[in-house]
Amino acid sequence: MRAALATLLLGLAVAAPAWAGDLTVSLRTPAGKPVAEAVVMVAPQAGAPRGPIHFSWPYRMAQKDMTFVPFVLVVPVGADVSFPNLDPILHHVYSFSPAKTFELKLYGRDETRMVKFDKVGVVSVGCNIHDDMTGYIRVVDTPYAAKTNAQGEATIAGLPAGPASVTLWHPYQKTARGERVVAAAIPAAGVLRLAETVDLRPAPLKHGKY
Amino acid sequence: MIRAAFARLSLARHLRTKLTVLYAGLFGVILLLISAAVYSAVSNAAQRQVRGELTASGTVFDRVWSMRTEQLRQGAALLSRDFGFREAFATHDQATIVSAMENLRARFGIDLAFIVGVDGQISAADPGKLRPHADELVQAFYNSEAPAGVYVLDGTPYQMIATPILSPDLSGWVVFAARLDDGEMSALERLAAIPLDANVAHKTAAGWTLSSGGGLTDRGSLNRFMDGALAAKARSPRGLKTPAGAAIGLVKPLPSLTGKDGAALLLTYPMARALAPYQPLLATIGLTGLLGLCLVVLGSWSLARSVTRPVSELDRAVGRLQRGEDGHVAVESQDEIGRLAESFNLMATEIRERERRITHLALHDAETGLGNRLTLERALAERAPSDGAAVFVAVLGIDRFAHVRGAIGYAMAAQVIREVGERLAGLQRDGVVCRLSSEVLGLVFAAEDEAAAEARIVLLLGQLEQPLHIGGDAIDVALTVGLARAAGAASVEPIEQASIALDQARAAKRKVAFFDAAAYGDPSSNLALMSGMLWAIRSGEVELFHQPKFDLRSRRVNAVEGLVRWRHPTRGMLRPDLFIPMAEETGHIRTLTDWVLRQAIADQAAMARLGHQMEVSVNISGRLLGDHDFADFVDRTLSQAVGRICFEITETAVIDNPTMALELLDRFRAAGASISIDDFGSGLSSLSYLKQIRGQELKIDKSLITDVAESQRDALIVRSTIDLAHSLGMKVTAEGVETANTFQLLTAMGCDAIQGYLIAKPQPLNELLIFLREDGETRSYG
Repeated sequence: MRAALATLLLGLAVAAPAWAGDLTVSLRTPAGKPVAEAVVMVAPQAGAPRGPIHFSWPYRMAQKDMTFVPFVLVVPVGADVSFPNLDPILHHVYSFSPAKTFELKLYGRDETRMVKFDKVGVVSVGCNIHDDMTGYIRVVDTPYAAKTNAQGEATIAGLPAGPASVTLWHPYQKTARGERVVAAAIPAAGVLRLAETVDLRPAPLKHGKY
Repeated sequence: MIRAAFARLSLARHLRTKLTVLYAGLFGVILLLISAAVYSAVSNAAQRQVRGELTASGTVFDRVWSMRTEQLRQGAALLSRDFGFREAFATHDQATIVSAMENLRARFGIDLAFIVGVDGQISAADPGKLRPHADELVQAFYNSEAPAGVYVLDGTPYQMIATPILSPDLSGWVVFAARLDDGEMSALERLAAIPLDANVAHKTAAGWTLSSGGGLTDRGSLNRFMDGALAAKARSPRGLKTPAGAAIGLVKPLPSLTGKDGAALLLTYPMARALAPYQPLLATIGLTGLLGLCLVVLGSWSLARSVTRPVSELDRAVGRLQRGEDGHVAVESQDEIGRLAESFNLMATEIRERERRITHLALHDAETGLGNRLTLERALAERAPSDGAAVFVAVLGIDRFAHVRGAIGYAMAAQVIREVGERLAGLQRDGVVCRLSSEVLGLVFAAEDEAAAEARIVLLLGQLEQPLHIGGDAIDVALTVGLARAAGAASVEPIEQASIALDQARAAKRKVAFFDAAAYGDPSSNLALMSGMLWAIRSGEVELFHQPKFDLRSRRVNAVEGLVRWRHPTRGMLRPDLFIPMAEETGHIRTLTDWVLRQAIADQAAMARLGHQMEVSVNISGRLLGDHDFADFVDRTLSQAVGRICFEITETAVIDNPTMALELLDRFRAAGASISIDDFGSGLSSLSYLKQIRGQELKIDKSLITDVAESQRDALIVRSTIDLAHSLGMKVTAEGVETANTFQLLTAMGCDAIQGYLIAKPQPLNELLIFLREDGETRSYG
């Protein structure tokens, strides 16, 4: 219900001003492979509209088949994120990240825990009993944020025209804090296509041969 | 080459030494080969054993290494995965982190433990010394999934492992490290079956460094060895040179934490230690070999001695034989050398016998058994003239031996010689008799002086000329003897002189004659005379003298005879009879005659210029009556003569080859020369030749003229000869006229011309010209 409403509102925002443009970002590795699960955040010079932020996707990070699903979750600041356990085993979800330190002691199948993320930043989420399980929650304070799909593409619509800085983030990007900022000029109408390269570290194998 | 080297050894002059050196050398070489083979086998076995042990130890070490790595990793993991620890690390609770880590480090007994954050932050009990390495370590940990390997801290190599701290992101590493020091290596050495040396080597900027601090070998050798071993594909043990001797080393590369500077385990084992158990065996072989060598030297020396002693004996015997001494050796053994010695003795005997025969043959005449000339020479050499007694050589020639031999045969003739020789030896017991040539015997004897010697010979002749009785016939022998006195050491000369004396005696028809040096002249200086003649002719030493002939019809001198004179610079004026016969023998007569002929023509012209028309006579040698070339010369030359030229020849000159001689005389005559028969009556005057030689003049020899005034018979012969010559159409000239009596007698006999000292001596041209001018005035000889 609330999601439907948010979609409607967004639809209005997109449709309403005649001076709004779209941005489609396509990310690839230097080897040319599409980069999925990357977060694109746009900060127009004109500024972002005030008010509560809502995204179209659920604020949920499930534990399924001993992985966090999704691997990366974008939520607005103040969002409550649910951590349902869909596995037949127990998990011990925790985070030592400064943006949010929490610990969800062992809980079992189909149990859900809720955590409120009230600070902007990156929260690394792990499971104390399964070292391979890692997930990331990117807490943002802008409505102009999206996550690349399997094709490495993300589209943010209804951006105010004019110059803007685009932040590209991936947990494994070989840059400081996993971030990179590029400049873009958002058109008054139509779509700006931005193709960028993102160099990634290999995903750490946590069950190393030790 | 070896032989040459052998020969250079002065010792090798002896067969004994040669054999000994050869055998000892061969044995030594074999011994060396055996020793080398044994040493090589032993050394190879030891090496194989050591290599095996090193390889096994290397495998053990691999196992130990991985166990220790695992142990370290487990300790580190225990800490890095603890939730409380991770929370403390995430919240930067340094005190808690370090205490927890030190607690675990102490419990595991680990040398070094620390934490490196992904930002390079070091958390440790003593972080100070680690901080400079932080970046390098972070880099190394990032690059490896399970970081483990050798890392060098302050020059000390550590076995180091790191486990990640996940919270849940990678936020740092727990690092555990164990020092790879001598203690560790000793523990590894104890695990090996052989007492090897274990070392960890790590590479620094300066090259390879050993954990034990070096001492194994120098840096250069170590570098070469390590690099070589690591570059090789096969990880097998290799030889290594150390100051303490050869060693075998095995290099096992160790993982390096950073991946750049290498590290390796070096296991070494000295060869000397590996060979130690074999030392007694090698020593035994060496000693046995030396003992064997001594025995071989002694044995071959004594064997060689037994072989070479008889050979040396033979060697010395050959030397004696060479010197003409007794060359026999004592035969002791029955082997090849013994047989050789027997043969040698036989040979020595035969050689001495043969030598004796040869000597006899050399000193004796084979036909008669008398001594030969050599015997006489020896006897002469041995008999130096003693006080009061001189030594004489007598040469006795059997007269008319050729006739005797023709009459009785060669064998009997030889017997005659032998009989005479033996008779002579019997008569003169202190003398030495020999046969000098077929009919000549020689005798050397002593006498007081020449008179005594001659008296002795005369006495002997009386005995020797007694008839010989050979084969029942009595044969008379007549002997002529030449004598010479042996003056001094010259042994040959007296024999020759005596031989010449024999010829002189025969020529003088005497039974005995001493050598007359003056009559003999000096053959060698005469020869030199001939060689000087050509030069003498050119230089004017040879002159042409002229002796006038007085013509009895015109009562004046109308002819001269040219006579050669040689004014020798050292020997004075030489008469023709001294050098003409020699010139005839040597062929110089042609040159001389050519000159005489030209000179005669020149002198005739000179006389003609002063108004004296003279016929000039020239003596032509019989030698030239066979020389057509000379006849050609006469043809060419006579045409230049202004007056008449007369050729004086002797009858005997025609005897040798009458046909050619008469032919040449015809040619001379045709050329314009008149022919005169010279010296008629001195030699074998043949009426047959007188008939054939159609001469214009006959010259009666002075031997008939000299006594013509005193001897009735000579006067008869001369008169008859003059008549005979006139009958044959020849004029007659008498030679050697010295007295007025003879002159008158010859004039009365109808002689045509007179030549001799009464008229004039032979004289040079200038004197002759004076004589001829005076001759123009009236002169009387009779």
